[in-house]
This record gives sequence, structure tokens and C-alpha cells, in this order.
Amino acid sequence: MPEGHAGPPEPITRLIDEFNKLPGIGPKSAQRLAYYILRVPEHDARALADAILAVKARIILCSRCLNITESEPCGYCSDPRRDQSVICVVEQALDVLAVERASGFRGLYHVLHGVLNPMDGVGPEDIYVRELVTRLNDGTVTELIMATNPSLEGEATSMYIQRLVGPLGVKVTRLARGLPSGADLEYTDDVTLARAFEGRQEL
Amino acid sequence: MAERGRVYKTEAVILRRRNLGEADSIFTVFSAREGKFDAIARGVRKARSRMGGHLEPLTRTRVMLAQGRSLDVFTQAETVEPYRTLREDLDRAAAGLYCADLLDAFTAEHEELPELYRLLVEILQSLDAGLGLHVVRYFELQLLALAGYEVQADACAVCGARLPAEDTLYAPASGGLVCRDCRAGAGTGRILGVTAIKVFRFARTATVGEFAALRIDPALAHALEGALGETIRYVLEKDPRSKRFVAEVAALPPLRTSEAGRNVLPAEPGD
Repeated sequence: MPEGHAGPPEPITRLIDEFNKLPGIGPKSAQRLAYYILRVPEHDARALADAILAVKARIILCSRCLNITESEPCGYCSDPRRDQSVICVVEQALDVLAVERASGFRGLYHVLHGVLNPMDGVGPEDIYVRELVTRLNDGTVTELIMATNPSLEGEATSMYIQRLVGPLGVKVTRLARGLPSGADLEYTDDVTLARAFEGRQEL
Repeated sequence: MAERGRVYKTEAVILRRRNLGEADSIFTVFSAREGKFDAIARGVRKARSRMGGHLEPLTRTRVMLAQGRSLDVFTQAETVEPYRTLREDLDRAAAGLYCADLLDAFTAEHEELPELYRLLVEILQSLDAGLGLHVVRYFELQLLALAGYEVQADACAVCGARLPAEDTLYAPASGGLVCRDCRAGAGTGRILGVTAIKVFRFARTATVGEFAALRIDPALAHALEGALGETIRYVLEKDPRSKRFVAEVAALPPLRTSEAGRNVLPAEPGD
């Protein structure tokens, strides 16, 4: 860079670089966000910085279900009213929120924090599969509900876990597959439509 | 690469997916006419996406794309073959993903490879139809040949001499079987028995169906898998990433037949 033609001052460049590391934020968006922060009142900027630090300082993974939590064990695992014999297995912590919001499920969870993805080299040891098997050893759990996404990777993960825990005699179920509300039959893929037919119910 | 308009249609097998932003995905697809390329599908991860299920890895799909600035964009997708068994049988899913991974590793973008496309479709069909998993060896052999690394199984890969029917050194660095006289300097390898050598020769002219009909015992399967795996590692200078997964799946306890399809799939109505 020629003399006298410096970029933005160093703290701004640093902030741009940090924003640029976030998912979905490109260099232009990072610049815009950094210049926005420059203009916000100091207490707002401090609140953002504090919120980020608090997340890093206070959020841990529950040692049993690996959901994100502030207390150990987490609220779900320590609630005696929840059914201790059923575990719902999900890919991400966000999926726990979706299941809680919608399903009335009152058992326990297990968060895998990922899904098997052979072509990207993500194997069973890269997600929390072994921790799940350990939870089944004392015989309390009688059913695993696989709530992974109905994608090739999600289904492969479910089948892998089913095979792995087979010898333990735990029942393994998975969520029904079918049509989402608002869907259009015309555009539905063959596998989903075939499974929707197989799972049809009397009106 | 075929000449494309601003909007074009093609038939393709979806090889892999990676997520982008909140609801988009980038797919690597392999098509008969356009070869291998990446394209983006907007909103495909939403439950109500019209393309979602049609762009799953290992499905054969008719797609329409619009040329984009860097990546082309899917505008329509309709399944031709869903290969459903691959979604419901872990061994077959692993085998299919391994083949897709291997093809990805051996091809460059936008290379027109109609024979390879036919081969991929044949293998996915065979895996879907429940043919023996050793068809993956057929895929490896044919893929190597199409990529210019045909396994030399008739004559010595070094001096071209005819090979007697006996245990013979197979050396990936030399390109195949090596006679006794050429062993020094042929590179490391493994000794293959007469049956394994016959399988290599048979695969060259056999159809996938004929190859699938071969009865291959576990020891022979192991030898073939080892020899071809070493060749692929020699050519690519690494193992395909999905190879480890295939081994991990093979090491799992088998599904008891009473469990197969019962716990996981809802019973057929009327069963």
C-alpha cells in the first residue's frame, strides 16, 4: 500500500476482521457492521460485547445430554417430572427448542452436535455418539427416538446409532416422514410421498 | 463442456451438499453433459421448499439451472430415481457415498464424461436393487480405467510378458500385476491369488450385473478391496475421506432381522 493511503484505523480494521469470521458475513457486510458499531451509543456496544463474553463464560454443555446449559446438569436432565426412560436424539441444540415448542415430548434429550457426513470426513468420533451409548448402559432408558433431519446424512446417522445400540436391546424409533403442512403434492419428492402413503392414517 | 444458454436443463446425480447461510445449500452434482459442477439452491432447507427432497445426495434428478455470476442456480428439480434403498440401508448408503466421493476425487469440473455418468447410474441402481456390495469393486476398476489407470491384469505391467497362472505380485506403482523377473524395482505391493486375478480380468468385459453375480468369499473380497484401495491411494496420494466410514459401518454389529425395518420404519398398513 502506498504511503499516505492508509486503510481505516487499526481498531476498525480489527473489528471488520472479527465480523468477517462470522458465518454468512462477507467483507462488505463486515465493513458495514463495523461502521454501524462506531455510531451506536457506548452502552449498546458494551451490552453486545458483554453478551458475547457472557455466552462464552457461562454456557457449558450438560455432561449428560450435551445440550447447552448454564447449570450442570441442565434443566431437562435435572427435572424429576420428565420421563427418564425415553431419550430424543437431535442433531443440534436448536432442535431441542423446536421439539419442546411443538411436540409435548416429556422425556430427555441427547444432542449429537452434528451428523455423520462421510464425504466431509465427519465420523462417529466427531459427534457425541459414544456419550449416547454410555447413557444406555444402566438399563433405565428403554427407547431412543431418533429426531435427526430426514436427509441422507441424518438418516445415515440414525441407522448408524440403531446398529450400534442394537445389542443393548433398546427400542429405536424415528419420527414419521411425510408431507409438511402447506406442501404441494406435485412438488413432493418420491421418497417422501411414498413414505407418506405408507404412514397414512384413517380419518 | 456443452454450450449452455442462460437457462438450461440437464440430468444429474447429486454427489454432495454443503449448507450456505440460513436456508441455502450448494450442491456438487455430476451430469452426463455438463460433467461435475457446483450449483446453489436457494431456500432448499425450508420444510416447504419445492426442490428439497429432489436434491438429496445420491439421487438422480432432472434439474433446470439459471446461469449465475459465479455459481449457477437451481430453478427446478424433479427426481428421476430416488434410490430409496440407499436411504434405508446403512451399508448401501455407505457404499453409494464412497462411490460418489471417489468420482468426485477423480474428476475435474465441467469435464464431459458420459461413460462415467452411465457407470455411476449403473452402480447406484445395483446398490439400490440389493445386488452384492462387491459391485463397488467393479466401480473402482471401471473408474480407474476411464481415468487412464486401467489395472494391468493380463500381462506383466513392467515388461509385458505373459503371466503364468500362479500367485502374482500386484504393485500399484507399476500399474498392475508384475512377473517374477520384474519384481525388483516394481514397488511395494501384495501377492494376489489366481482367483483375484481372474476377477480383475472378468471385470473388464463384464456388465455390472454379471459382476454382481460372482460369488466372492470374504477372503477374496478382502484381497480385492485391499489391492484396489492401495491403487486408489497411489493415484490420489490419499484415501478418499469416506473410506473410513465404510470401514466403521462394516465393523458395526449386524442388524437382527427382527429389527430390520421394524423399529425404524412404520409397518405397512395392512401388515
